Amino acid sequence: MENQMKRGLLDVCVLAAIKDADSYGYQIIKDMSPYVEISESTLYPILRRLEAGALLTVRSEEYNGRLRKYYHITPEGLKRIETFKEEWKEIMMIYEFVTKEGKKDE
Amino acid sequence: MNKETFLTELRTRLEGLPETELNKSIDFYSEMIDDRLDDGLSEEEAVAALGDLKDITDHILEDVPLGKIVKEKVRKVKSGRGLRPWEIVLIVLGSPVWLPIALSLSIVALVLFIVFYLLYWVIILVFYIVDLCFALGGVAGIVCGVVAMAKGMAPYGFMLFGCGLFLGGLSIPFFFFCNIVAKGMIGLSKLITKGIKNLFIGRKKKGEQQ
Repeated sequence: MENQMKRGLLDVCVLAAIKDADSYGYQIIKDMSPYVEISESTLYPILRRLEAGALLTVRSEEYNGRLRKYYHITPEGLKRIETFKEEWKEIMMIYEFVTKEGKKDE
Repeated sequence: MNKETFLTELRTRLEGLPETELNKSIDFYSEMIDDRLDDGLSEEEAVAALGDLKDITDHILEDVPLGKIVKEKVRKVKSGRGLRPWEIVLIVLGSPVWLPIALSLSIVALVLFIVFYLLYWVIILVFYIVDLCFALGGVAGIVCGVVAMAKGMAPYGFMLFGCGLFLGGLSIPFFFFCNIVAKGMIGLSKLITKGIKNLFIGRKKKGEQQ
């Protein structure tokens, strides 16, 4: 997949993973893994980027005698998911058109 | 590799990043290992699951702007050990010798940098301008050709018309060629940026290929 496109998609995936409840790094990876494989090295810059863009906030909480970072989605983050859903409808239409053309050629 | 070796290695490779940036990365990966340990993995397995160290550092560097890295380098050099008295004396006494050399060298470096930077974008621009000339030349040829034919200079007009068509037609595939060139140049500039970042970051080990 085109790199730029995948990057944008993963951003939305991570936001979706913290949409209903705050979550932490390892949990996000586990939640996403049935749908998309994502590694720590990919997740880290995404979280940083989303934090810088104020789409999520970070807080540290003690867990098992150590600190763990929890990620919380902001209203802007939720808005981003909604925009994505709208945009995706358009992409699905394009997909339909592309595959339909394909059948005609055969 | 156990947790400690991994984190030390990561710290070594990221040396040169601003301190806060570096600690954030270390904290993140440390938390990831701890969470895997809680999940029942052994330390070795937890570290292995994080993947290749080079991959990890590449991803971290990707999102840190070059300016920030250079700034940190300059800060580190400045905050290094103070100068001894005799060094200051030498520097002052030697200034007629080294000052002009240092000045001219830095000016040359700056000019080279600017020239290289401009050249880079001018190359892309030139391709598109050439394409524009093809297109404009094409239109002009067609118009002049028609006018010439209408004025009764049929063979001459016909030739002009044909040349116009040829040029106009050429401009279309050439446009796509320009896009490929621009894309390649942009990819190249990303590679160069990454190379410069790597120059500043990480203590290199002897014999290690970067």
